[in-house]
Amino acid sequence: MKKEAEALKTQIEAARKAACDTDMASAASGVAPAPRVQLKTRRTLKGHLAKIYAMHWSTDNKLMVSASQDGKLLIWDSHSGNKVNAVPLKSSWVMTCAYAPSGNLVASGGLDNMCTVYNLKTPVIKTVKELDAHTGYLSCARFLSDTEILTSSGDTTCALWDLETGKQKTVFLNHVGDCMCLALSPDMNSFVSGACDSLAKLWDIRDGQCKQTFQGHTSDINAISFYPSGNAIITGSDDCTCKMYDLRADQEVIGYQDAALNSGVTSLALSVSGRLVFAGYDDFNCNIWDSLKGEKVGVLSGHDNRVSCTGVPVDGMCVCTGSWDSFLKIWN
Amino acid sequence: MDVYCSNNVLQARRAVEQLRLETELQRIKISAAAEQLVQYCQEHRRADPLLTGIAASSNPFKDKKTCVLL
Repeated sequence: MKKEAEALKTQIEAARKAACDTDMASAASGVAPAPRVQLKTRRTLKGHLAKIYAMHWSTDNKLMVSASQDGKLLIWDSHSGNKVNAVPLKSSWVMTCAYAPSGNLVASGGLDNMCTVYNLKTPVIKTVKELDAHTGYLSCARFLSDTEILTSSGDTTCALWDLETGKQKTVFLNHVGDCMCLALSPDMNSFVSGACDSLAKLWDIRDGQCKQTFQGHTSDINAISFYPSGNAIITGSDDCTCKMYDLRADQEVIGYQDAALNSGVTSLALSVSGRLVFAGYDDFNCNIWDSLKGEKVGVLSGHDNRVSCTGVPVDGMCVCTGSWDSFLKIWN
Repeated sequence: MDVYCSNNVLQARRAVEQLRLETELQRIKISAAAEQLVQYCQEHRRADPLLTGIAASSNPFKDKKTCVLL
């Protein structure tokens, strides 16, 4: 079987090489360079008492949820800077949070191996489900709707859950390392996951199959996002680089790296056209990359500790960074 | 010992099946793929506030000037 595996791998590499007639930077050589991006901090959201591990925008472009190891989820009105809600967590070892597209629900999870879903619209915020089946930590969760949620876990699997029954509908098996992040495709038919096996995988949500595997990183992939057209993905890794993989060419088309950078990438988010990549690093900064040319076009400096999460709302009007320094900052 | 061996075999078998699946993929040339990504960026660049900049009057995050009562 080992021989067969090696033969198949060689075949795949040959097919990729045949498709590799150029790279993104060359293809984009005719494009005007992106302007130098200088964003100002418009809001500093203070309220968490410990490291912030995750944040997620609501689709209304105003509210957002953040999760901290102080044991709370905070819902913020980003325009006023006020806290709208606080959700106390049973387990303070939270690693992820998510806002449902409807705005009705939020979810959290972490070292408790569970994904807990809360209803924000009842008079008092209620826990509506505790999704308990993963055998490893919950690294990421994303709602498809009020009835389905996707999770990624340290047990190397991802899962699609039915929120009405609280059971797993589909389990996505193929990674051989902890799954660290996931991102939904714009058309909601597929998702990608990044793992500690340094691979990113594309999955079909309905049939549960791994369709494609992307290699190139040399360490854990901590962050992943779809390019807005749905034809490419961007990954961020502990190897200090980010990469763009095109889904149809089935390979890396450009890398975002700098010899001077020797901190891992913790998080990333894209501007609405896909041109700008906001990548958060362990070195307390968020670097802004031109996705087409691979050049650094700006920096967001202001946090006093690792940037652990970044997010751009649907309308693209700002970028939010969250940090181990316990603050969230809104920039535009 | 037996369980360990069969787990490895199972994992190897899964890996081979996955590789077989991935070999079937129809790949397009990077030049064609990259062109489409560039085109998407260009078509949407005017609608990207972080790229074009936001006028103070339409920026929901701009600090509102406080009213001073004289």
